[in-house]
Amino acid sequence: MMPAYYLEAAVVILGLVLMVMEAFVEKADKSLIAKMGIVGLLVVLVSLFFVSGPAEGDDAPIWSFYAVDPMALFYKGFALVTTILVLIMSLDYRSVLQHYMGADQEKPGAGIGEFHYLPLFTCAGLMWMASAKDIVSIFVALELVTISFYVLVAFMRRNVGSLEAGVKYLILGALSTGFFVYGLTWLFGLSGETELSKIAAALGNDDSAMVRYPKALLFSLAMILVGLGFKIAAVPFQIWVPDVYQGAPTPITAFLSVGSKAAGFVVGYRIMEPFFANHVAPQLVTLILAISGATILLGNLAAVAQENFKRLLAYSSISHAGFLLLALGCSSSTTSPVNVEGVMALYLGGYLAMTLVAFHVMCLVRAQLGSEDLSAYKGLSKRSPFLAGVLLVAMISLAGVPFTAGFIGKMYVFLMALQSRYFVIIALAVVGVGAGFYYYLKVVRAMYWDDAADDQSVQISTLSKVAMLTMVALIVILGIYPTPILNLFAA
Amino acid sequence: MNTDYLPILVQFLIAGGFAAVTLLISVVLGKTAQQRSEVKDQAYECGMLPIGETQPRFSVKFYLVAMLFVIFDIEVVFLYPWAVSFQEFVRDGVWVAFYSMLGFVGILFLAYLYALKKGALRWSD
Repeated sequence: MMPAYYLEAAVVILGLVLMVMEAFVEKADKSLIAKMGIVGLLVVLVSLFFVSGPAEGDDAPIWSFYAVDPMALFYKGFALVTTILVLIMSLDYRSVLQHYMGADQEKPGAGIGEFHYLPLFTCAGLMWMASAKDIVSIFVALELVTISFYVLVAFMRRNVGSLEAGVKYLILGALSTGFFVYGLTWLFGLSGETELSKIAAALGNDDSAMVRYPKALLFSLAMILVGLGFKIAAVPFQIWVPDVYQGAPTPITAFLSVGSKAAGFVVGYRIMEPFFANHVAPQLVTLILAISGATILLGNLAAVAQENFKRLLAYSSISHAGFLLLALGCSSSTTSPVNVEGVMALYLGGYLAMTLVAFHVMCLVRAQLGSEDLSAYKGLSKRSPFLAGVLLVAMISLAGVPFTAGFIGKMYVFLMALQSRYFVIIALAVVGVGAGFYYYLKVVRAMYWDDAADDQSVQISTLSKVAMLTMVALIVILGIYPTPILNLFAA
Repeated sequence: MNTDYLPILVQFLIAGGFAAVTLLISVVLGKTAQQRSEVKDQAYECGMLPIGETQPRFSVKFYLVAMLFVIFDIEVVFLYPWAVSFQEFVRDGVWVAFYSMLGFVGILFLAYLYALKKGALRWSD
């Protein structure tokens, strides 16, 4: 057994080693960097089962801002799996990257090595964020994630779309960080503490400024919610999402839509949790529910009209943020045997599998057919039955067909909302799910019922096949037997 | 009124006053030399030429050097407060203060090697 923070250190060291190796071993093929990263992260993923929290009587300073609980371990694994799949995708996406990195005849792989090891630093940030329980360490982890994303989003420097996405993400990311840190300073000013557990303890004390000035506390929580709203793509902070998702390199879009969102929810839950059992709970819940309802409605309805698959998934990602917010909003009132952490983890776990499969297919189609429009998916079942099959599973799971992870996640969210009697939001969510069936199955229709323009087939490497099959298996297994994740969080 | 913040107000007044006084002096003194000529109106020394593109393109090397400067500047900013409190930490046997700074400087060193190898500091070519 080793302390849990060795894992983050291992990931950072792996990233640094690959960075130096990429710069100094010029002869090596750049895809070797990604492969070494994948192997290294797999080792870290396995060692996740052999870590421990503080021993009895161990009061080293690190344990005051670093949590080792089921939630932390689950989302560390989540970050690692996401990063591994993103690295596999980036191998499939190389030809597109190479095209937009400037065709240097002497050094064909120039600049691509960085694309393969920068995600490791993002991963370390995501892992740290899963454990962070002090507002300073939350902020530092969040910045590590965001800054490495700034580079990755704008990576295809000869592609106008990627540059535009980079500028938009940089400006809005900085703005959201401003809101977030402003909220944190108010929270610190009211409580005088940076440690979340001490802030929660101070809430019970009637002399605390947090109790005496509920409006100031609400202002601080609202600012934090705005800052995180940008990260998780909630309405009305979603405007950057379609453009950035469309412009960024596809593996990074996948990373943004899964990793960044999960991290936003972990941080949001950790910060908000004590306040759900408190005097500001009614207003806070109303705020979250209002955002949630608007997000579900706008995300799903705007997705209906999309003709570009990447933009469609961007709006789908917005709508899923709405459902997750609905789960968060049930925190103070749910009485069901399953708790909010469990449902959020289950939903995000399923979301990871289905979204990454969809983006993986998109990477392959973009690299080999040269388009991200839905029209490129016409007749995909004839080009590659395998790709069409896995995308079919991902799409019906995203829509929420029974026996898939997407269905189970949505079912539990609806269950909690019903118990909490949020009937208006449930009505909006039903409209959203209905619209979801239309636009997710539109992709399926294009793949199976429309004819392809030519008979070009799509090649898939064994590694990608294994990765996609694993995720499809995860979708089905979670859809039938979600108990392990729910048990992990059972009190 | 919180008197602790009075010095800040005074500083604002001095800063504003300084700007106003210098502008005023240059106007007053400038009046004595009314004979303007083309040569006198030209930019001199490091002044920008008044005619040309409004957004001239700079070589990307300037940005690279500026970014590297900021990185190593921040390193020094962190090193100072650390150095001040280092002795105290070591006296108390808190060696983590030493190792964490070693890690920080080590990561920066690797980044420096990377920048060097990628030619960020090579000015010619």
